[in-house]
Amino acid sequence: MKKTYSLIKACMTSDMNLFKLKTKNKKSSKLVPLFIALYLMFMIWGSANSMFEKLAPTHMQYILLSLFAFSISILTIMEGIYKAGPLIFNCKDDDLLLSLPIKRKTILFIRILKFYIFELLYNSLFLLPIMIAYIRWAENITWTYFLTSIIMLLFLPIIPIILSCILGAITSSLTSRFKYKNAAQIILSMILLVGILLISFNSENIMNYLIKHANGINDLIIKIYYPAGIYAKLITNFNIKELLLFIIINIVILTLSIYILSKFYFKINSRLKKITTSKKTKINNLIIKQRSKTYSLIKKELNTFFKTPVFIINSGFALVLFILTAIIITYKFDSIIPILTSKEGGLGLSKELLNNNISILILVLISLTAYMTSITNSVISLEGKNINILKSLPIKIKTILMSKIYSCLIITTPVLLIGNIILFIKFKINILESLLLIVLSILIPLVSHFIGIIVNLKYPKLDAENSAEVVKQSTSSFISVMIGMILALLSIVIITKIIGKINSSIFLIIVTIIYIIINTILYLYLIKKGTIEFNKLTV
Amino acid sequence: MIEIKNVTKKYGNKKALDNVSFTVEDGDIFAFIGHNGAGKTTLIKSIVGIHDFDEGDILINGISIKNEPVECKKLMAYVPDNPETYEHMKAIDYINFICDMYEIDTNEREKNIKKYAKIFNMEDKLNDTIDSYSHGMKQKIVLISALAHNPKILIMDEPFVGLDPKAVYDIKEILNEMVKENKIVFYSTHILDVAEKLCSRVAIIKNGKLIKSGSMKEIKGDKSLEKVFMELEEK
Repeated sequence: MKKTYSLIKACMTSDMNLFKLKTKNKKSSKLVPLFIALYLMFMIWGSANSMFEKLAPTHMQYILLSLFAFSISILTIMEGIYKAGPLIFNCKDDDLLLSLPIKRKTILFIRILKFYIFELLYNSLFLLPIMIAYIRWAENITWTYFLTSIIMLLFLPIIPIILSCILGAITSSLTSRFKYKNAAQIILSMILLVGILLISFNSENIMNYLIKHANGINDLIIKIYYPAGIYAKLITNFNIKELLLFIIINIVILTLSIYILSKFYFKINSRLKKITTSKKTKINNLIIKQRSKTYSLIKKELNTFFKTPVFIINSGFALVLFILTAIIITYKFDSIIPILTSKEGGLGLSKELLNNNISILILVLISLTAYMTSITNSVISLEGKNINILKSLPIKIKTILMSKIYSCLIITTPVLLIGNIILFIKFKINILESLLLIVLSILIPLVSHFIGIIVNLKYPKLDAENSAEVVKQSTSSFISVMIGMILALLSIVIITKIIGKINSSIFLIIVTIIYIIINTILYLYLIKKGTIEFNKLTV
Repeated sequence: MIEIKNVTKKYGNKKALDNVSFTVEDGDIFAFIGHNGAGKTTLIKSIVGIHDFDEGDILINGISIKNEPVECKKLMAYVPDNPETYEHMKAIDYINFICDMYEIDTNEREKNIKKYAKIFNMEDKLNDTIDSYSHGMKQKIVLISALAHNPKILIMDEPFVGLDPKAVYDIKEILNEMVKENKIVFYSTHILDVAEKLCSRVAIIKNGKLIKSGSMKEIKGDKSLEKVFMELEEK
């Protein structure tokens, strides 16, 4: 037990620095993620209050807690699928831990525990404000609500992370057999993600149906997803036996999964570590050619991107969704119109307004994709110890930073252009607006890329055990994603307020000018402050 | 010439380098020795521009690394203690990448890559990704990439760790060749008998302070370098 405790302490120390205020970084920079987290929780609390208000006449406020528990579990599985593989398999500390006299199950337990703690924190960000908001709207609050909620908060992530680990193990096991492991992992994970997304869309319809048909609702939710359903059941009708049963079920699932996974864990791990070498190539047949510094740096960046599956899936998912959305809109626009025109849950636009402002809606889509595609928030951290190579080379820091931005633009721009062209043809967008939207497809992601790299320079994580820690669990990725969400929401709010009040071409020109100004400011800031932050980086 | 002038580097309140000053002349093979944690790597990283320092200055051929880092770095090559490379890259791509940063033309890099790949017996392995290499092979790639741009100053941190005996021998030959061309070789090491035979000058650092610096003959006299080092350590 003492051994396990020491191991947990050693493995968690570097990650938990995120939550320490007493580090070499200034207190103010440590407070930024805390402030953003609190702000996000406040926003969720506000939204939950208005939703509870709508549900109050039906006396079914507890349904919202179930729905959120369910949605967050789906999100955890979606995130976990591509995170579980690199978090659990093929870690940097494998050799060290495997050489120590520790049971393999313990090593796996520690890896899953790390995963669990981060998911618990992320889940709490969303669930805590809703749980707090419920207190105001509940008809009868007793101590059992608090007990149930705490237990739920602690146990809800278990099943999703176990599912993610199993799916992660399956994908890792399958891909470890391929020569091109990374490509296979990316394709498999993307298929799984799109699949789960489609299932969750349908689940939402089922949930909406359930709200309308109140009879026996608890039993129905339990059938769909037991932990979410049991939460609602225990709030409305507390039963200690059922609460204990829920706890036992989770513990049994966790223990059994660790036991079963540990049987395959090391086989998969060793297969993943297997190295493939290419055929011997004579030196005269190799390409030895001079290129410019920027070209070479961009090539290096793209190489890192395409060789890091978790990075490509995380940042490429929004781009894939953009293309899918463009295709769906092209073929099924009529079925999307009610969503856009609906006053409840939609944008509440009239059909005429919609038809006259299609280009602005394309702009919304571009903005959402750009702000969800924050590639640069990890580009500094992913350098790891190699940051010393860059720092020792005769290159200006400006060239290094800008080459990272250019390589991200090389990734985002072609995808956005393809989506744009599909939509331009479908809606016969005029040349001026098409050109403006193409320019904005570069300018808006550019803002996202600038913000990402600025945040990453401020919050680098150069000592991560694996790429998933950098891409998914670092302060930098958290802050960038939150900023992206806020900017995406702001874009939608501003656009829906302005739509119809101004000619769409003029609106696009104004937006383009605004984005040119924002990008110029961010560029100047990056060159001035970014250079200072880059110089401070040490491993 | 490398001029280290009153360099002080602090980590919080602890001085990792305390007012260190010495000079490395052209044509020197300079050994930099000291116990673990003495400040060797900190000084090396300061010379090559990885670390900033709090006081003093470092001049490379009269140019300050603080004021004109890019110009200074153009003259130097750095070989770290651990072979840090972009492991997902093919070795040849990594070497090309380093040469691109030093703006080495195709003919010169081709000549140098072929020369050093042959010396280190890596000719038919350059098309593999670096993550498939052993520690020693990675070290050889770092050495090839450092030598391929024909640096005037070669700075190395524990260069012999992990290398096979033939590679160690080959490096020593290369270093002697560089000195004949009036270039500078500055390296840290714990292998004192190699340093004693190979180096013309030596500096010994202890707890961030320079305790001895000069020609190998002056420092060791009739004793062995190991003996001198042990005596200084015990003081």
